[in-house]
Amino acid sequence: MSSSLDVVTLSRLQFALTAIFHMLWPVLSTGLAIFLVILEGFWLRTRNPFYYHQARFWAKLYVLNFGIGVASGLPMEFQFGTNWAPLSEFAGDFFGSVLGFEGAMAFMLEAGFLGIMLFGWQKVPPVIHFLSTVMVAFGANLSVFWILSANSWLQTPAGGTFSDGHFHVQNYFSAINNPFMVKSVIHMALATVETSTLVVAAISAWSLMRQKAPAFFQFSFKLALVILLAVAPLQILAGHESGVQVAERQPTKLAAIEAIWEDQPAGTSPAWSVVAVPDEATGTNRWKLAVPGALSWILESRPQLSQPVRGLNSWPADQRPHMVGLLFYAFRVMIAIGMAAAGLTALGLLLWWRGGLSTERFRRWPWFSWAWILSAPAGYLAIESGWVVRCVGRQPWTVYGQLRTADAASVLPPGEVLTSLVTFAVLYTFLLGFALFFGAMILAKGPDLSLEPPQNGSAARLPVPSPSA
Amino acid sequence: MDFLDVFMPTVWFVILALFLSLYVILDGFDLGVGILSLTSPGEAQRTILMTSLGNVWDANETWLVLMGGALFGAFPLAYGTILKALYGPIFLMILGLIMRAVAFEFRENVVNKRPWNLMFGIGSVMASAFQGVCLGTVLSGIPTDASGHFTGSPWIWVSPGSLLVALTLIQGYVLIGSTDLILKTSGELQRLHIRTARLAAATTLGGALLITFTAPFVSETLRQRLFDPAFLPFFVVLPLLGVALIVQLFRSLALQQDVWPFVYTVLLFILSFAGLGVMVFPAVIPPSVTIFQASASVSSMVFMLTFIGVLIPIMLFYNIYNYIAFRGKVTSE
Repeated sequence: MSSSLDVVTLSRLQFALTAIFHMLWPVLSTGLAIFLVILEGFWLRTRNPFYYHQARFWAKLYVLNFGIGVASGLPMEFQFGTNWAPLSEFAGDFFGSVLGFEGAMAFMLEAGFLGIMLFGWQKVPPVIHFLSTVMVAFGANLSVFWILSANSWLQTPAGGTFSDGHFHVQNYFSAINNPFMVKSVIHMALATVETSTLVVAAISAWSLMRQKAPAFFQFSFKLALVILLAVAPLQILAGHESGVQVAERQPTKLAAIEAIWEDQPAGTSPAWSVVAVPDEATGTNRWKLAVPGALSWILESRPQLSQPVRGLNSWPADQRPHMVGLLFYAFRVMIAIGMAAAGLTALGLLLWWRGGLSTERFRRWPWFSWAWILSAPAGYLAIESGWVVRCVGRQPWTVYGQLRTADAASVLPPGEVLTSLVTFAVLYTFLLGFALFFGAMILAKGPDLSLEPPQNGSAARLPVPSPSA
Repeated sequence: MDFLDVFMPTVWFVILALFLSLYVILDGFDLGVGILSLTSPGEAQRTILMTSLGNVWDANETWLVLMGGALFGAFPLAYGTILKALYGPIFLMILGLIMRAVAFEFRENVVNKRPWNLMFGIGSVMASAFQGVCLGTVLSGIPTDASGHFTGSPWIWVSPGSLLVALTLIQGYVLIGSTDLILKTSGELQRLHIRTARLAAATTLGGALLITFTAPFVSETLRQRLFDPAFLPFFVVLPLLGVALIVQLFRSLALQQDVWPFVYTVLLFILSFAGLGVMVFPAVIPPSVTIFQASASVSSMVFMLTFIGVLIPIMLFYNIYNYIAFRGKVTSE
């Protein structure tokens, strides 16, 4: 028993490590793709080389990012079989289909058009090229849909019955459209767009601070601000809605992310902890800074709770998540970053409106530039924190209320899992280091403003170029 | 059993075979080119090799992801059992694929390309070798209990049989990689790959013959299938077709043709995997667990088929468009 417990922990660590690392890359693959569509759309409409150079420069970062995303995604899929074979058998009827759809609808679309998007500028007519970029963005975002649908199903399983160790699907559409699906997809899609846009803004701010290609980066900064104006406030709303659905459907997760230990009856107005020091041993918060009466406003927008909130102490220890401190703070980090990004956006727009967003501004106000530069890693941190809340908060269940994580893991020799875990850790550290290094090199080099755009009506007019030129 | 209880698992077995063949052919030539890149005479030649993969390797690798998803959805029991039994080689294959992909992207960004060239080549060799190990182990049989769960040792994949399949698959990938390069290059580089193709054709053929003649000794089920009169027509027709294709392949290489060596190699691959399919059908976890025992519910397979079935021609269409857009020789420019 104890050795199989060790394997569960090792497999969980490996899934956490590979998922946290993998998540870094699809962010740009989905969010930046939309940015590229906008830029290429501008170019197609105006034929101004300025937009062509924009599209080509940001695409360079896109490629660097994409390969690692694809590569680090492989272990995610295969782990369901290698490390989580009982889960595959338990939920394969639904879960497997969804991963299959993701491959056929999303992944292949993205990969199939990526080659044309990256290398086809001189090979296909501009309109076909634009369509390819649209398909890459569309495929990547379909991927968000399927993965979040599958993960939401683990959170709020629906659309069938559980018997003799299997999930039997009765209605596929209600399984796909499970209670968490819509809001989770929106929250994640907005997260990738917001973080990608923060990356664009950060790189632009960095370059403007150094007065590198100022016209080029002033444009990309302003475009980022416009996108953030739409996305940042929406994301706060989507995040709030996601929190409310957790309150409705996953009482143990809610109690953990808010560090609520005791039951809060209906009709009361409990305080909301801004910060706290949760103590699992005693089942209390050792210290906290709380806003009186705020919890019911946050959960229900009312002065008193209409529904009771169950505290962690009223659940048996094997039916609620642990690591309360991690969940409590991951949740707060995510919220703080979301708020800060919205605030920074507001400040940027205000300056722009008052005519103060000159390229000089970035040099004279280094704190302003640095706030933007740091917003990019902060965006990634918010996304990772959100996933920690979502998946650590779901414990001890893999399929909420139906399949325990301990029962979902393959019984494997611990040494074997330890070996793969350590190898992934070493390899991924190395990959991250080099990706950042090469990213920095692309930035140091800056955009290539001498690049000749493909001529309208020359070799690229025919759908098929002449072979072996 | 109802009609659908037989029909749906069979359809999914065929779709899986299709995805496997597409993967082995398409990423097979990518991996083969990756292995061959280790032997490139210089950086300029290696760059041509890598450029020829730029627009396709990613989509080609996706057929593997698709195969995984389809196996997971259609035969969840097989997905769990096979992958768990093959923990080691799957992990090493993924490691190889990660190395290949990342080295490919990183190489673009540096002046000193040597470390990434090495990583690209070694990644390609590793991925090919461990794909062969997986294939060899599955064909030799995976021991299971009555409910289809793996009961063997975690080292089951270390065997002479899986080693033989691994070595043969590497040869096969080098063959299809060189014939692809005959198609995509010209001049001295093309002549070089005509020579490697000839060599690889001979070694692949040798490996395939060894596998065919030793298989009946490795697996009881394979022996029974080979001598089953009902399957006799297959085992007469397939080898005859094979011999014809091999003769044609060597002839086209001798004539230094551009396109035909690749075409004959692809046909040989299809023939080999059709042969393997006939050997194991209806087992999905050889030797004993059949597609009917391991399949998802019929409604699940019907649901998946309605979506993925429609998508297969669409996927093929835009993948083919990609090849057409980039057809022709790759030049160093």
